[in-house]
Amino acid sequence: MPHASLCLGGNLSADDRKSFANALRIQYFLFTKGLTHVRRRFGAFLLLTVVFAMWVSAYADDLASVRQSGVLRWAGDQEGGGPYVYPRSDNPNAVTGFEVDLANHLSAHLNLKAQFVQGEWTELPEMLQTNRTDVILNGYELTPQRRAMMNASIPYYIYGLQLLAKKESPILTAWADLKNAKARRPLKVGVLTGSAAEVYMRAFCGESNAKVTCEVIGYDGNTDAMREVETGKLDGALEDTPIATFYAARFPSLAFIGKPVSEGYYVIYMRNADPALLQAVNAALISMIRDGELEGIYRKYGIWNDEQQRLSAIADNARFYGYPETAETGKQRTGGPAEVITTTVREHGWNVVRNYGGVLLESAGMTVILSVVSFPIAITIGIFVAIGRLYGPSWIRFPLGGYVEFLRGTPLMLQLYFIFFFLPELGVAIPAFWTGILGLAINYSAYESEIHRAGLQAIPHGQMEAALSLGMSRWLAIRRIVAPQAIRLVIPPIVSDFIALYKDTSVCSVITIVELTKRFSVLSMSTQATLELVLITGLLYLLMSYPVAVLSRRLEHSRVMA
Amino acid sequence: MITAHQISKRFGHHEVLQGVSMKVEPGEVHAIIGPSGAGKSIFLRCINGLESFHSGSIQVGDLQLTPQTDARGDAALLQSIRKRVGMVFQQFNLFPHLNVLQNLCESPVHVLGKDRGESETLAMQLLDRVGLAAKKDSYPRHLSGGQMQRVAIARVLMMKPSAILFDEPTSALDPVMASEVLAIMSQLARDGLTMIVVTHSMSFVRGVANKVHVFENGRNVESGPAQRVLQSPEHPVTRAFLELTS
Repeated sequence: MPHASLCLGGNLSADDRKSFANALRIQYFLFTKGLTHVRRRFGAFLLLTVVFAMWVSAYADDLASVRQSGVLRWAGDQEGGGPYVYPRSDNPNAVTGFEVDLANHLSAHLNLKAQFVQGEWTELPEMLQTNRTDVILNGYELTPQRRAMMNASIPYYIYGLQLLAKKESPILTAWADLKNAKARRPLKVGVLTGSAAEVYMRAFCGESNAKVTCEVIGYDGNTDAMREVETGKLDGALEDTPIATFYAARFPSLAFIGKPVSEGYYVIYMRNADPALLQAVNAALISMIRDGELEGIYRKYGIWNDEQQRLSAIADNARFYGYPETAETGKQRTGGPAEVITTTVREHGWNVVRNYGGVLLESAGMTVILSVVSFPIAITIGIFVAIGRLYGPSWIRFPLGGYVEFLRGTPLMLQLYFIFFFLPELGVAIPAFWTGILGLAINYSAYESEIHRAGLQAIPHGQMEAALSLGMSRWLAIRRIVAPQAIRLVIPPIVSDFIALYKDTSVCSVITIVELTKRFSVLSMSTQATLELVLITGLLYLLMSYPVAVLSRRLEHSRVMA
Repeated sequence: MITAHQISKRFGHHEVLQGVSMKVEPGEVHAIIGPSGAGKSIFLRCINGLESFHSGSIQVGDLQLTPQTDARGDAALLQSIRKRVGMVFQQFNLFPHLNVLQNLCESPVHVLGKDRGESETLAMQLLDRVGLAAKKDSYPRHLSGGQMQRVAIARVLMMKPSAILFDEPTSALDPVMASEVLAIMSQLARDGLTMIVVTHSMSFVRGVANKVHVFENGRNVESGPAQRVLQSPEHPVTRAFLELTS
């Protein structure tokens, strides 16, 4: 939950103070000197804005607030997969991976409990900035762009980029082959979207110059590209070394091409606002590097290599930047790790159903809850909007029309982003689940209102006239005569919309909700049993929407008989 | 009790009513005849506020309608007028989602606040009067046109109005059904109900109406006692119209 606090002056930046003062000035001007109609209409609006501006959630001292809560929230994306963060095979609701271990050890050093926060990999910085997590710990490379916006810890892993291709591929046996294609066409190389591999590959393929020698295709999951190489859709994949090493067993038909290139560092990112947390994290990392805790974790996942020795050199140099010798230095861990994690062979058939059916069913439950809670809200809002547009005074029709067009004309995903990532900056932070409900309800209310409007307008005008001439008020006539007749007309399109909403809940995965589709992606990534999972997931969706279709037919008939 | 004074209405440049006046005393039956598009229905609908007008005034008892009467702002005034002056439509406009009994009781219960039992008793009496007591649980879609119009008349009578406006009540009916409905209307006239009827049925005009008004192009071209106008029409339009219809 965000650590919002109502405070003025103290923690506001100079810019915040200036804009707040300006808002007050405009307010004053409009109230005293402005035109009457401007005053009335915009005065209230500005008052609201000023109130929001006042309620700027100033980020309290990060380390202090984290210590106070006793919990260190760290963000990653399970869909990214191993060896970083991926679902456990014995309990797919929980996560495992070297970063999970790292986060747990790190938090222990800080006397805190680690709490994993799920988010879309490309959205993790947003989540950091909106205080939905304390740190980002998910294979985020050290880049100047990111440094400019967030604080970076010392490196915790040194990675390289490994090129992969099919064993005995005739067209890709060395890096050079990408430049002079043995095939008559540019070679296709897959990468993880938004990663350093993507940046490197695009630069290498010379996309900035006109001559394109190879084509770069981005994927959302770590192993998507590798699978595509296996099936022949891609010629090669460029993956971070941990991924290439960890999944080597799962893709036996792929081979490493050349040595890893373009070394870089994985770092932990934190907000700029407070250096105390940075200090603490770095101190913990140094301690873990020095006493071999980090090596132990990496060996367990098979990603330790000689390169990582250089981490201690970096840690040593960090002393010069003011990090005190930590109490645990000197304690060297010897001997091999207690356990070694290897990837399993791909699961097949009934195993998948047995192992993952339960967790998929749970996520289906989330899908159902999201739909069943948000749709009635959407219908209700829609009724009021439709009646307002049809029977309301003119000053209400225009804004309502705008409401409908805006919500229908912009993607649901953008609207969810707006509520989840932008509103917190105005001081309104809503938890992910309710953001999903709110976003879905509001978006669909626009569509429902149009359906209601069409239904109401389809009722012959004579009905309203008869009702009015019997002395009924407009409102009574709508309520008892027009609307009841309209309901039967609107049942089919509304049910159709409900089934659409049902599947639109998958968009909520961008605001960290793990509903059925996201769970499918995550499991598909970690088990590679995509076919089985597609079938189960599709079946679950069908099973949930079929009863709705039956119910709607029954509703229609009951109205006709009436 | 209903007085219309110099009513004018236009749609854009088209003048649909030009200075129409009429005075209806309690218990009188006025018929409005004339070619289609003459503004007869529009004039009728101005009386109970379903249409607005641009100049003139309408007096219903002590209630007055003016060009400034606004549907939203003067809702209470319009409601009062409509409780006194009911309307029967050419397309019947029964409520299809309610059965006959419910159609009749809807307004007395929800507008006048009457007790449901009391309303149902009165409804049965009126259904008896129009000869449809057996159909009380039927839905409008199970009724013939003539039956629907008779139910519509009963529905209006439930509100105990002082006057009823009939907007071409039999135009959508075949001659047999039309005669059923006209029979009811004659009965109501004999019982002293104030009626303004827009109709093409000359037999009704001859047999029941006290006064007849002839409309043409938005104007009331001739008014007078029914017998006199039908026997010896003065205006050429009336003459031409009557020639066509006899």
